[in-house]
Amino acid sequence: MRKTLLSLAILSLAAVPTFAGNAVGDTAPTFKLTAMDGKTYSLADFKGKTVVLEWSNPNCPVSARHTREKTMIELSKQHGEVVWLGINSTNPNSGDYMKPAEELAWNQKNGINYAVLADPTGATGHAYGARTTPHMFIIDKDGKIAYNGAIDDDPPGRKAKAERVSYVGHGLDAEKTGKTPDPATTHPYGCSVKY
Amino acid sequence: MTASKIVPLSAAVTLAFLAAFAPEPARGAASEWSVNPQSQVRLITATKVAPRTGELWLGLQFRLKPGWHVYWKNSGDAGYPPAVTFQPADVLGKPEILWPAPLRFNLPGSLVAFGYENEVVYPVRARLQPAPASTPSSTPQAKPAEGAPAGAPEPLKITADLDYLVCQVDCVPFRYTLTLDQPVGDRAEPDPEIAPLLQAALDRLPKTTGEVAGVTTEVSLDAGFTNGPDLEVRVRGARADAGKTDLFLESNDALEAGRPRIRVLPDGVVFHVAMKPRETNKPLPARTPISWTVTNLVANGRSFSLEARRDVEVATGAAGQPAGSAPQPPASPPRLARLLLSAFLGGALLNLMPPVLALLLAELFALRAGERGRVREGAAAAATGIVGSAWLVAMLAIAAHRAGLPAGWGAQLQEPVLAAFLAVVAAVVALNLWGVVEAPLAPADAAPVSGTSRHLLAGLFTVPLALAWPVPFLQEPIGYALGRGPATVAAVFAVVGFGLALPYLLLAAVPSLVRTLPAPGGWLPRVREGLGFLAGTGAFWVLYALSRQVSPEGIAFIELALLAMALLAWLRHREGSGRTFRAVLAVGLLACAAGALWLADHNRLVPRTAAALSTTQTRATNNTIPGG
Repeated sequence: MRKTLLSLAILSLAAVPTFAGNAVGDTAPTFKLTAMDGKTYSLADFKGKTVVLEWSNPNCPVSARHTREKTMIELSKQHGEVVWLGINSTNPNSGDYMKPAEELAWNQKNGINYAVLADPTGATGHAYGARTTPHMFIIDKDGKIAYNGAIDDDPPGRKAKAERVSYVGHGLDAEKTGKTPDPATTHPYGCSVKY
Repeated sequence: MTASKIVPLSAAVTLAFLAAFAPEPARGAASEWSVNPQSQVRLITATKVAPRTGELWLGLQFRLKPGWHVYWKNSGDAGYPPAVTFQPADVLGKPEILWPAPLRFNLPGSLVAFGYENEVVYPVRARLQPAPASTPSSTPQAKPAEGAPAGAPEPLKITADLDYLVCQVDCVPFRYTLTLDQPVGDRAEPDPEIAPLLQAALDRLPKTTGEVAGVTTEVSLDAGFTNGPDLEVRVRGARADAGKTDLFLESNDALEAGRPRIRVLPDGVVFHVAMKPRETNKPLPARTPISWTVTNLVANGRSFSLEARRDVEVATGAAGQPAGSAPQPPASPPRLARLLLSAFLGGALLNLMPPVLALLLAELFALRAGERGRVREGAAAAATGIVGSAWLVAMLAIAAHRAGLPAGWGAQLQEPVLAAFLAVVAAVVALNLWGVVEAPLAPADAAPVSGTSRHLLAGLFTVPLALAWPVPFLQEPIGYALGRGPATVAAVFAVVGFGLALPYLLLAAVPSLVRTLPAPGGWLPRVREGLGFLAGTGAFWVLYALSRQVSPEGIAFIELALLAMALLAWLRHREGSGRTFRAVLAVGLLACAAGALWLADHNRLVPRTAAALSTTQTRATNNTIPGG
C-alpha cells in the first residue's frame, strides 16, 4: 500500500511538464488576447492556418529598426497565406509600456498593418518562452511550433537587406511547400521582453 | 558614424615629423573614444611599433555607465554580442575576437544575460600578412613620406567597423567606425600604457585545462532523466570561489540550457544544467558539441576561469527512446551506497552543531530523569519526529528544485524567509530551555517529563535547528539525489534523518545507555538554562548568514522582532495569570515571529528572480559587503 502511494506520488510529480511547450514539435500554447484595436484574437480561431507570432515592443530599438526597415511588414505581405500576429508582453510598470490606443496609432503611422496583441501579464510570453523583441515563432497548420528563434542572421543589421538570411522567410517558404523550416530553431536576438 | 577622418598620407607625414623631431615615436596605440550617454569605446593596440608579420594584438575597450552591460559571445536570453570587421583585410587577415570570462545579469521575467559591466577590453588577435612587394594602392598602408629616414616605422591605418548593443534593462544599439594609425617597423615595440591594459584583458581570458596544472574536467550529458537531459560539468583540482563561481554555456543547436545548479566539492565543483531539447519532433543527436566556461576558480592561490569545447556523447537510458520518456538509468550500487553512507555521516555530524547539541542534551537529560521504563518509547518518538521532519524537508527540496529554485544543502540559507524561520525556531528553542516558553517541545523545567508527544515535537524541532548548518558530506548526496528524482531525494533525506536521530536510535535500541548520564539533581534546571544560550547561537548564526541576503535595516528589525518575542514570552511566563492576557501575549508572540519572516521577505538585497540562481545570488551581495 505504501509502495503504491509512493509511486503514485512520484508519478504525479513526473507528469507535470508534459503539456504544450515552446520547443519545435510541441503543441503551441493557446492564448486569447486583446489587440491594440480592441478586437480579441484566439489561437484557436486560426486552426488549419500557418500562424506567425512576432514578439515586439515599439520602444525597443531592435524592434524599431525592423519596423523602419519594414522587415516584418514586407514579409507578412509576401506571405498573405499566413496569419501574422504581433504580441507585446511589456509590463505596464515598465517604462517601455504603451497604452493600446497609443501603440495602435504608432503602428498605423509606421505601416504595421497586422494585429498586435497586448499581453500585459506576460502569461502568453512566458508560455512561449519569448525572450527578446523580436522573437519569432511559426505555428504550422496542425497547431505545432515549427520555428522558434530570430527573424534573420543579422542581429545588428549590418548587411544589406537582400544579403540577410531571413529564417522566418525561409521557414514560411518551407511551410508553403509542405516541408519543415530548416533551421527550425535559432538564437533570438534583441532587447529583452520587458516582463 | 563618427569616423576619425585622418587620411593616411597626413598621418604618415605626422608620424615622419614626430619620428624626426620628437624624442618619442608616434603614439598610435588607441583611437579616439566614441562616446554616448551609456558607454564609450575605442580601438587599442598593444604595440607602439608593430612587427611587419606575425601577431598583432588589438582590442576593443569599453567603458560602461553603472548598470549598463555589453555582451559575451553568447548574449544569453537577450541582446547580441558586438560585431566588428577590420580593415585592411589583406593585411590583417581575419582578426579574431577573444572573450573574457563573463558575468551573469538578471533581467525582469527570469531572463538572464551574459556579458560585462564597468570596463572591459575584448582582445583581438590579428595575424599580419606579409605585404606583397608591389602593393596596389587599394590598401591603405601608406608609403613612408618623402624624407622619412630609411627603416622608420610606416603607419598602417586600421579601421574597425563596430556594432554593439548596450543594455541596462533597456537596450541601445550603436555603430562606430574606429580608426587608429599603427606604425609598423622592423623592430616591434610595446606601448607602455596600452600593452598592460591588453595583458590584463588576456589574463581575464578563460584558460584551457592544459594551462592549469592539476586541474581536470569532465563533461557528460545524460538524456536518461524524466525531466529532460542533464548536463554535468565537473572540475576537479580547483576550489570554487564562494558565490562567484559560475558556469556559462555557448548556445547549442539541439539543446537549450536551463539555469546551472552548483555543487561545491572539497576539491572542485560540479554543475548540473537541465537541458531542454529544442525540437521534440526529432531524436537527439548521438553527439553534440558542448562549449562551456567556468569562472572564478581558485588553484594555487590564483583565480582563473576555465573553458573547453568538446563533442559530448548524448547518453540515453534506453536506445532509440526519446529523451523525455526514457527511464532513469539505475545508479551504480557502490556509488549509491557511498553517497548514502555519506548522507548518514553528515546527518550524525549535525548533532554536534551548537543548537542541535543543546536540544539533544536537554532531551537526553529529560529521558534520564523520566520514568525508567519509558526511555525506549521517548527516544523512539524523538527519532520518529526527526525522520518525519526530514521527509517534510525532502518534499520542500523537491518542490524548490522543480520550481527552479536552488535546492542543495546550503540553499536554505539563500531564501530569506526560510532562513528567518530557522532563526525563529532557534530562538523559540532557546526560550524554551530558559524556561520562559512552556510550549511542549522540550521538557518543561518543573517536573520530569515522560510525555511521548513532547519527545516527538523535540524531534520535529531538531531538523530546522540542524538545517542552518553547513557540514561536510551532505552536499554531494543531496545534489546527486536532486538530479535523480523525488524517490532518491526522499531516500537520501530519510538517511540524513536517521543519521541525525542516531543518538535516539541508540537509546531506543539500548535504553540502559541512558544510565551513563549523571542522575538528575538540583543542577539540572541550571544546565538547561545554560543550554538555552547554546541554542541561541543558532539564531545568531542564521542572522549572520541572512546578512548576505537581507539589508542591514532588515536584519536590525528582525533582531528586534526576535527580542520582542523574548519579551512577550518572558512577560507571559512572569505575569501571565489572566487567561485573556496570556492569549493576547501568545498572539503577539506569533505576530512577532510572522513579522520576522515578513521583514526578511521585504528587505531582500537580491530580487526573488535573482535568488533563484544559486550561483549568482551573492554577486549582487558582494557589492554591498566591503571586501566581500
